[in-house]
Amino acid sequence: MITEKRANKKRVLVGLSGGVDSSAASVILKEKGYSVTGIFLEFWEEGACCNSQAQERARDVCRRLNIPFYVLNVKREFKERVVNYFLESYKKGETPNPCVVCNKEVKFRTLVEKLISFDSDYIATGHYVRKDESGDDVRLLKGADKKKDQSYFLWNIKKEWLPSILFPLGELKKEEVRNIARRHDLPVANVRESQEVCFVDGSMKRFLKNNLGGESGDIFDKEGSFLGRHNGLFHYTIGQRKGLGLSGGPYYVLFKDLKNNQLVVTKDEKDICKKELFFKDGNFIRRERFPFEAEVKIRYNTQASKAIVEEEKVTFLKPQRAVATGQSAVFYKGEELIGGGVIK
Amino acid sequence: MKKIYLDYAATTPVDKEVSRKIEVFSEDKFGNPSSLHSFGQEALFAMDHSREVVADFLNCKRKEVYFLSSATEANNLAVFGVLKKRNDPHVIASPIEHKAVLEPIKRSGASFDHLPVSSDGIVKKEKLKELIRENTVLVSIGYANSEIGTLQPLKEISEIIREENKKRKEKIIFHTDAVQAANYLSCDVQSLGVDLLTISGHKMYGPKGAAALFIKEGVDVSPIIYGASQEKGLRPGTENVYAIAGLAAAIEVLDKNDNERTEELRDRIVRGVLSELPDAKVNGSMKDRLPNNINFTFKGAEGESIMIALDREGVAVSTGSACASNSLSPSHVLLSLGLSHEEAHGSIRVSLGRFTTKEEVDFFIEKLPSIVNKLRMISGK
Repeated sequence: MITEKRANKKRVLVGLSGGVDSSAASVILKEKGYSVTGIFLEFWEEGACCNSQAQERARDVCRRLNIPFYVLNVKREFKERVVNYFLESYKKGETPNPCVVCNKEVKFRTLVEKLISFDSDYIATGHYVRKDESGDDVRLLKGADKKKDQSYFLWNIKKEWLPSILFPLGELKKEEVRNIARRHDLPVANVRESQEVCFVDGSMKRFLKNNLGGESGDIFDKEGSFLGRHNGLFHYTIGQRKGLGLSGGPYYVLFKDLKNNQLVVTKDEKDICKKELFFKDGNFIRRERFPFEAEVKIRYNTQASKAIVEEEKVTFLKPQRAVATGQSAVFYKGEELIGGGVIK
Repeated sequence: MKKIYLDYAATTPVDKEVSRKIEVFSEDKFGNPSSLHSFGQEALFAMDHSREVVADFLNCKRKEVYFLSSATEANNLAVFGVLKKRNDPHVIASPIEHKAVLEPIKRSGASFDHLPVSSDGIVKKEKLKELIRENTVLVSIGYANSEIGTLQPLKEISEIIREENKKRKEKIIFHTDAVQAANYLSCDVQSLGVDLLTISGHKMYGPKGAAALFIKEGVDVSPIIYGASQEKGLRPGTENVYAIAGLAAAIEVLDKNDNERTEELRDRIVRGVLSELPDAKVNGSMKDRLPNNINFTFKGAEGESIMIALDREGVAVSTGSACASNSLSPSHVLLSLGLSHEEAHGSIRVSLGRFTTKEEVDFFIEKLPSIVNKLRMISGK
């Protein structure tokens, strides 16, 4: 039998993707003496992230580590809560962040909910974030590998879940993680990084076109002069510069006029810079009294900027470019993730 | 009476090491790999491991390995599965293929041409090119013949097919039944250049009931039976985990085979028999031949009678392949080499294996001549 005796070992459910991070996380937990169970969440039929090969790799890892392996079907939840949200958001002219929604609504939620039936103590993932339980309150910190820090995607998880979550990779650098996988001869050591939006197999343009249609329309500058044609408003993000197909640029996307199916662009980068943003659906890992000072990040691949956070509003000290509705504004104080919200 | 087994081409005993490795799958880890609980997990892990081992052996990707219940089933899938979606297909195979290849081809309704063989049992590869037609979809040539042990030039054949395929949109698929060869020859599918390859566990010191079919990625093979999604839907039906793990375990101990030692024993038999019975004839090339196979023709003595007489002495050999030996018609393989019906009837196959000893071989050499001579006297020839 694979199942280990309960004994005194703490039991942990590791969410496995078939990639190097979650696999190495399992190794670390096992070496630390936890009784580890691998869980593969089946999100979607197509796409690169949860195809049968990824599942097979996750299973291989469990076989090598001699730990139990389970596949949980969350296709319905993922479709309803993530993919539909993603498409709805695009329809509204936003630039959604499906990973944030998935983490809360599917990945972490499912694993936390399964703690009872698996009679386990913790869940764990391969995210590069740290947890600090030294104080009265558990705090969520950026990953030690600053290049890999993934806290941006976790602002929305429930604070009450945190005590039950382990992040074994938080203190590690990506290279160290790869080495762990190599050292244990895990079949994932050289698997390529997961793509940006896991359920979009191939071209995002085609995916949006297939699911949302989207008619081409006119592009104007802010003075109202006609500049060219766009091929469906969904394909553009506020602040976008590349791929507009306009000569005499560079131009930046300033505004999407959904009612008239028009794209408004500007040559003046200042136009796409904003000092303020409003957010909705705020979630706070750490309770702070408004207003408070924080560093705020408005995209994953961007630096956090100093700002004052109020109940539904962020005021930056310096203007920010390309504030896209639908993306997450995430608040930090130094290393600590305070919370976040969805940009309105 | 001591029993001596000289019919390893029919089937092999299960190696003790294999037995030991897989006994756990009979009473303990008996789960169904499709079950989600721990019993299923153990079985699925065993399937994964087995697939890894076979893929390693064949030098292919794991997803290119499909498990089935027998080589016959694998060959049927290779033939029917490739032909299924094709319109008016044409197939080329040698006339000395095993029935498990020839019968499916005949029953498929495809037009069919034989790639002829020389009198020493090697296909005439130079004839292949002229046999290939526009609608040729499948070429099936066994790696080593089950009755006469002759080895076929697969690399050269695959080279010819590859050249031909350069001109084609719909590629010709090259299948080989490597069941007899797998014990002794490299089954590296990359260097052989095959698209489909069959191996079978019970010919390799594994238990009966498991075979593997290599299907090169991108080759379109349709299922021939339907059910759930085992083996990616290509071979539905609960996996015979015990036998499949046995096939893998057999591969893991395959280096126990000693080709040189086997060849020496084989040649000892040939020398010993020919010195006593100088008019005996060995069928098939002695050069391009499995190290464990001998096929004799003794004029004026019936193979079946020789087999029975030897069996009464405790020595097991066969007439032709085990699968054909209960039919009265003479071996289609031997007839294809140009033997007469009478000659074909007067033939026996001796096949050696991992556990064959020099003493056993000598006992056979000692017993055979008197049996043949007695039978010849009775038949008056």
